[in-house]
Amino acid sequence: MAQTPVLEHPAKRTRRRMTRMERHNLLVGLAFISPWIIGFVVFTLYPMLASLKYSFTDFTGILASKQHFFANYQMMFSDDRFWKAVVNTLYMVLISVPLNLIFSFLCAILLNFKVRGQSFYRVIFFLPSIVPAIASTMLWIWILRPDTGLLAALLNFIGIDGPNWFLDPLWAKPALIMLGIWGIGGTIIIYLSGLQDVSQTLLESAELDGANWWQRLRNITIPMVSPITLFNLITGVIVMFQYFSQAYVFAKFASIGKADIIVGRPMDSTLFYSVFLYDKFTNFRYGYASAMAWVMFLVILLCTVALLKVSNRFTYYAG
Amino acid sequence: MATQTSYQRPLSVKVRKFIEQFGKHLLIWVVALFFFIPFIWMVSTSLKVKTDVGRFPPNFLPRENKTIAIDGEEYPLFTLSTAGGGQEVVAVMDYEGSEAVVFDPQYPAETRKVPQAQLSEILIVKFRWENYRDALLRASRPGLDVNFFTYLKNSLIIAFFSIIGTLVSCTPVAYAFARIKFPGRDGLFIFVLATMMLPFQVTMIPLFKLFNETLRWGDTFLPLIVPTFFANAWDVFLLRQFFKTIPSEMSDAARVDGANEWQIFTRIIIPLSIPVISTIAVFTFLWAWNDFTGPLIYLQSHQNFTMALGLQDFQGQREILWNQLMAASVIFTVPIIVAFFFLQKQFIQGIKLTGGKEG
Repeated sequence: MAQTPVLEHPAKRTRRRMTRMERHNLLVGLAFISPWIIGFVVFTLYPMLASLKYSFTDFTGILASKQHFFANYQMMFSDDRFWKAVVNTLYMVLISVPLNLIFSFLCAILLNFKVRGQSFYRVIFFLPSIVPAIASTMLWIWILRPDTGLLAALLNFIGIDGPNWFLDPLWAKPALIMLGIWGIGGTIIIYLSGLQDVSQTLLESAELDGANWWQRLRNITIPMVSPITLFNLITGVIVMFQYFSQAYVFAKFASIGKADIIVGRPMDSTLFYSVFLYDKFTNFRYGYASAMAWVMFLVILLCTVALLKVSNRFTYYAG
Repeated sequence: MATQTSYQRPLSVKVRKFIEQFGKHLLIWVVALFFFIPFIWMVSTSLKVKTDVGRFPPNFLPRENKTIAIDGEEYPLFTLSTAGGGQEVVAVMDYEGSEAVVFDPQYPAETRKVPQAQLSEILIVKFRWENYRDALLRASRPGLDVNFFTYLKNSLIIAFFSIIGTLVSCTPVAYAFARIKFPGRDGLFIFVLATMMLPFQVTMIPLFKLFNETLRWGDTFLPLIVPTFFANAWDVFLLRQFFKTIPSEMSDAARVDGANEWQIFTRIIIPLSIPVISTIAVFTFLWAWNDFTGPLIYLQSHQNFTMALGLQDFQGQREILWNQLMAASVIFTVPIIVAFFFLQKQFIQGIKLTGGKEG
């Protein structure tokens, strides 16, 4: 086979001037990606720099802004509500994200059983995840109602007096975690496709060698889906830092009958990072909110890099 | 002995197999109920009358008080328990304090007063489909000519233009990253992917100012639609992965015949990419349909609300009509479920692609 001379020494390429072909390709390529370039500059790069600038000013959108450098950051770090939001968000990252992963993995194992009606079961497990977030939040608020809710009835039936999920700050987050687990269908699908890639011959030979179900799961399946676990973990953490809609609607419901809607009800227990940021934004504290956004961005970056670093020790990549 | 074991063995294997299968089904069902019951509950509530909604303990089948029509008027039927332990069926005409004015359905003229405590409703199963009509036509705010159809229309407009924008802008960008070898391409592509990590909160405030103050697009759909016309990393990635799988012999042959990149892109690559394009159309629809934060930030007046905004606005009223709210939630959810059943393959493929499975 004749080889086309495309591959060149990389060092040579950088020093050499572009050929006519390359110049042509560059122009055509740039023309094709121009929508992205324009979009990036106008809708990403400029706003990023602008919000970085706002974060160093006391900009409110109306009043003339004056520089006051790290005042927003100082204010933020000495604000009790800010820390409350951080703790609430960490609660979700440390409890909700792992629970979602474990539960999705177990569901994927169930759905991987060779039983009749497998595809029907898969649809049932998956459907809740495509219910719009606002609709599912309203539905769960209705289910969780302490007076006439379905869950209260079920708990009553087995002799438990259910908590008031909307008034008790201890129980508001577990309610949101439950709502989250209801919608893990997407994660289940990703795990399921991972399980289907686990080598059957490896599992069978392990079985012949006398490994029981648990040993096969522990030593073959879990390591082989570890890249998927890593992916789900990273996206789960990123999504959780931006957790907003469900908490916002939940708090709005918990505020019914109160004089005003206060985010984070009951008693700031659903005051998550993004909820607090949105609250600052609607109160025209643009500088403060921008500072919060940048801190969040940096934390997400750090988390992702840290997870990728740590994961090198735990994930297994075939081939 | 020997014949016995060889005879019994297949049977016991069969029994074990059966028990194993049964156990698996049972296990799956226990978990499936957790996913399924809330669904049933949503539909069930949406078909209940108001008095049935608040009933405790709740029931899954919507029930209504049985009525009897006398002279064109409907009267609810109750069982009256008398002191002597007897029971009779009565119709209730009116309530006076703790007492009710009742009559025997056979003799409508003879009314009498009995304590309400002695009455219990006679219930029949009845689906109240009118809730759906009421939820759709319900005026969201008095004085404004806004109902759920308005929200439905707004959501569809935004979703439609978002799909157009995403497809028109992402395909050429993805084509360049997949097929045009220009200097710096691969580094730039990694940069495109890195922008996926940026939380929207970082750009939220300057964008809000840009759209509201500089461009004066506040309270319109434009801030939600226009950015989709400038490509996003996620869809560019998906399309690029697909374009890369198309054999390059085809475009090379076309190039020899004198076709330029644009012609190769529109005449060869696009027609071959219908599966991935429909996947992206479905996911853009989902995304636009479900989006809550965008409309919450940019849309203020009720006539511009989307379904997501309108739904959570239900609870802004003094009294929440849960049956109508659930009916509205069903209406909001049904298009997605229908889309899922028609486009199951695209759904699953899209999710797997996000999981990096086929990347």
